[in-house]
Parts: sequence; structure tokens; C-alpha cells
Amino acid sequence: MKSRLLSLLQPLLAGFALLGLWYAAKAVFNLPSFVLPSPDEIGAAAWEERSTLWAAAMITLRGALLGFLAAVGVGFLLAMVLGFSPRIKASFYPYILVLQMMPVTILAPVFVLWLGQGLPSIVAITFMIGFFPVVANTTMGFISVDRNLRELLLMCKATPAQEVRYLRIPGAMPYFLTGVKIAGTLAPIGAIVGDFLAGSATNGVGGIGYMTISYFSQLKTPALFATGMVACVIGFGFVGSVNLLHWRLLHSWHDSMVKKE
Amino acid sequence: MCAQPLVTLERVEKRFGNGPLVLDGIDLKVERGEFVSFIGPSGCGKSTLLRLIAGLTSPTNGEIVIDGMTPENARELMFFVFQDANLMPWRRVAENVELPLLLRGDPTARRAERVRHMLEIVGLSAAATKYPWQLSGGMRMRVSIARALSVAPEILLLDEPFGALDEMTRDQLNEDLLAIRGRDPFTGFFVTHSVPEAVFLSTRIVVLAANPGRVATVIDVPFAYPRGPELRETPEFLQLLAHTARALRAVRA
Repeated sequence: MKSRLLSLLQPLLAGFALLGLWYAAKAVFNLPSFVLPSPDEIGAAAWEERSTLWAAAMITLRGALLGFLAAVGVGFLLAMVLGFSPRIKASFYPYILVLQMMPVTILAPVFVLWLGQGLPSIVAITFMIGFFPVVANTTMGFISVDRNLRELLLMCKATPAQEVRYLRIPGAMPYFLTGVKIAGTLAPIGAIVGDFLAGSATNGVGGIGYMTISYFSQLKTPALFATGMVACVIGFGFVGSVNLLHWRLLHSWHDSMVKKE
Repeated sequence: MCAQPLVTLERVEKRFGNGPLVLDGIDLKVERGEFVSFIGPSGCGKSTLLRLIAGLTSPTNGEIVIDGMTPENARELMFFVFQDANLMPWRRVAENVELPLLLRGDPTARRAERVRHMLEIVGLSAAATKYPWQLSGGMRMRVSIARALSVAPEILLLDEPFGALDEMTRDQLNEDLLAIRGRDPFTGFFVTHSVPEAVFLSTRIVVLAANPGRVATVIDVPFAYPRGPELRETPEFLQLLAHTARALRAVRA
């Protein structure tokens, strides 16, 4: 109990120290608010812009979620195909790598040309950023099936479909979820970058990435910082949910989760 | 009238790729109800021999016939108990035992009944909902045996199932295995490094020599079943133990 309290107190104290440092720096170097706003100015800006920021957060969250789901779904299916035969993997894996190596800054205009400004392009960009870790990890999972368990299924005269259902998919699950975790940390970033590069706005309100540009061009630095805070919250929420899913699916049996006494 | 042996191996040879001969000229006839142990030095191919009978690998030369069929076609009659328990870590104990029944399409009610029965036989009813990581090595092996016997196979192939266990657990599981076999008879093939285990369990012990693996001696074990732990203290048992150990030493030299 005492150590629980301490572990909560420690970051809180460090936070106060950092805030103090922030105010001190602003005072000592006499920085104007459009260069470094103080935390209270950021708070005030966040309150003032709350409806815009809320709408922006929802737009970004939607892009991140759709892109994430597409990355996870397509990644899983693609990994299943690649893991199915070494020949298919050898043939197509290099091209998946090429896609992965392609910088988003170059892909973004292409997507805008194809899909226009807005949600479809943002989802596509988020997908491009998130799907590779899912494919790479899950493919590894499908390939590294326990040999002895395969022989067990052989003795059971299992059909190929049964092998996939009862051995390959559950066996690949830890790998898949590792990929999902990585995709989960990348998706909010992907959606914000996507919004930054290919976002659109209605009545001056766009996603987080779009608002970043908007506040920056108006030199509304406190609001810009507030936007950053919102992005952090979205990121934490996303990663937290994905970690929870990971835990839910593995905690009962997987080595990485079980407590050994 | 039923003169046909259940399992026949004729001039069986095995070589992996272009490697050396692993098994050479194996001839063996096994009747229904026998319990045959393979024992021999490391590299004598005893595990390979078991895998050949299971159809998990094919002979390079020679013929294996199981109840008139090839090993691959006779899989329905057989089950294999692997060296480590080889359980699915994501399935609970009962679900692991259920797996072979599920895969062959038994209806739910029959599966549940059979799983309950099997867990009772191996004394693990209380552990039905546990995961494999929560069990000791001996318990895991019991689950593996329960799983293998859930389909009531005619032939049970066991590949050093108790090799990793301490001696007390091993003795206990040996006794349990015979008790189970008394109730649900099967023809057994058993690979082991342990002479006492081979003598305690078997009707016949096949001593293999290495490089290439071949049958050196076959020792008949005359003790009647049921066999209890007291058998281990009888002079006849100890005599046969010494005899078998001697045969094993002879192939090592």
C-alpha cells in the first residue's frame, strides 16, 4: 500500500518539478507566449478551443480507428496467405517491404490524387503505417508452428482447415497481438500525419493534424500546444486499449503473461 | 485362426536423405495385446522406429503392415504419446484431452462424457480447468496419456514419455499406465532409456544396437498382469533386470 502510494506520488512530484522548470525558463529567458506559452495559457486555450479540439479529436480518432482496423484485418489475412506457403512468401514479401520502405510523405500525395483530401486518404495513410508490423509478426507466427503439435494433429488425422483453426491461428496469436500492439501505437500518429498531409476541413475544423497547421499559421501557439496534449491523450487511449486486448487474450496461458511461482 | 499379427515389420531400413543408415533390417511381429519396449544406446534409432510405426516418417526400404494397412492408413487405430507432454498451451486440461475427439467430430455430449472419464482415470478431475503451465511435469504427462487414450486407440505408441520425470513419479506413472491398460487394453510400443521401466511394463523388450540401428536381442518378460509395485522387489524381476542390463551393456561395447 505504502509503495503503491509512493509510486503514484513520485511521477506527480516530478511533474510539479518540470512545471516549475517550465515557468522558470519562461521567466528567465523572457519568452513571449507565441514562442513558449505557459501551462496555464495552454489550459486556457484548450478550454477556449474545446469544441474545436473535441471535434478534431473525434475526426482523428475515427481515422486512426478505421486505419488501425484495416491494418489489423488486412495484415492478418495477408499473413495467413504468406504463411501458407514458403513460395508465396518468397514471391511477394519483397514487394510488401518496398511498400513499407516508401515514405508516407510520398504516398500521401498519391493517395490524395486517388482518393481526394479527407478521411479515405487519412485511413489509407494510417493503414500503410500500421499494416507492416502486423503482417511481419503474424507471418512469423504462422510459419513457426510447433512441429510436435503438427505431428499430434497428423496423428489425429486433422484436415488442413482444422490445422489452421486449432493450431495455426491460436499458435500465431501472440505474434499477431505483438503486431497489433505496434500498429496500435502507430495508428494515432498515422492518422495525425495523414491529416496533416491529406486532411480537409469543414467550417475551419479538421482533424488534429489539420488544426496543427491552422493554429500554427495563426500563431496561436497555446492552442497548438493544447492540440499536442489532445494527441497525447488519443495516443494513450489507443495504446491502453490495445494493451488491454493483448492482456485479455493472452494472460491465461502465454509465457509472457503468466505468473510463475 | 487369427494368425495375422497386428503389427509386422519386414526388413525395414531407414536413412535420412543421403545420411548413414539409421535402421537396418528390422524384422518384428507383434501380436494384439503385447507391450513391446525398445531400448538401446543413444542413436540406435529407437525413436525413429516408433515414428515409422506411427507413419510419421516412411521407411527407405522394407514394409510395415498394421492390421493389413499401411501405417498412414492405420492412424485411426493408433495414438502417439510424445516425449514432452506436447499439450496446447492455450487449451485447458479438459480441452487438451478433448482435442482428438473434437477433431474426429464426436458430438459435444459424448466428448464431455469421455473427457470426464479419462480425467478420472488419470486422477486429474480436479485440474480440468487448469492450463498446462499450472501443472507439474508428471501431471502434464498424465494429461497427454489421457488425451491419447480418449480415442481408445488399439495401438499406443509412447516415445520416452517419462524420461524427464523423477524416479518416484516415473514409477507411479508406470503403475498407472498398467492399471489403465488393464481396464482399456491396448497394444503398446514404448521407447525408453530405463531398464527397470522396460521390464516392469513390457511383455517383450527389444534391445537395439547402434550404427546402424538393428535388433540385437529380444527378451521375453514372463510376468503376468496385473503387475503391482511389489513385482519390483521379487528375485525374478531383479534377475531379469540384470539380464536386460547385461544385454544392453553388450550392445554398447
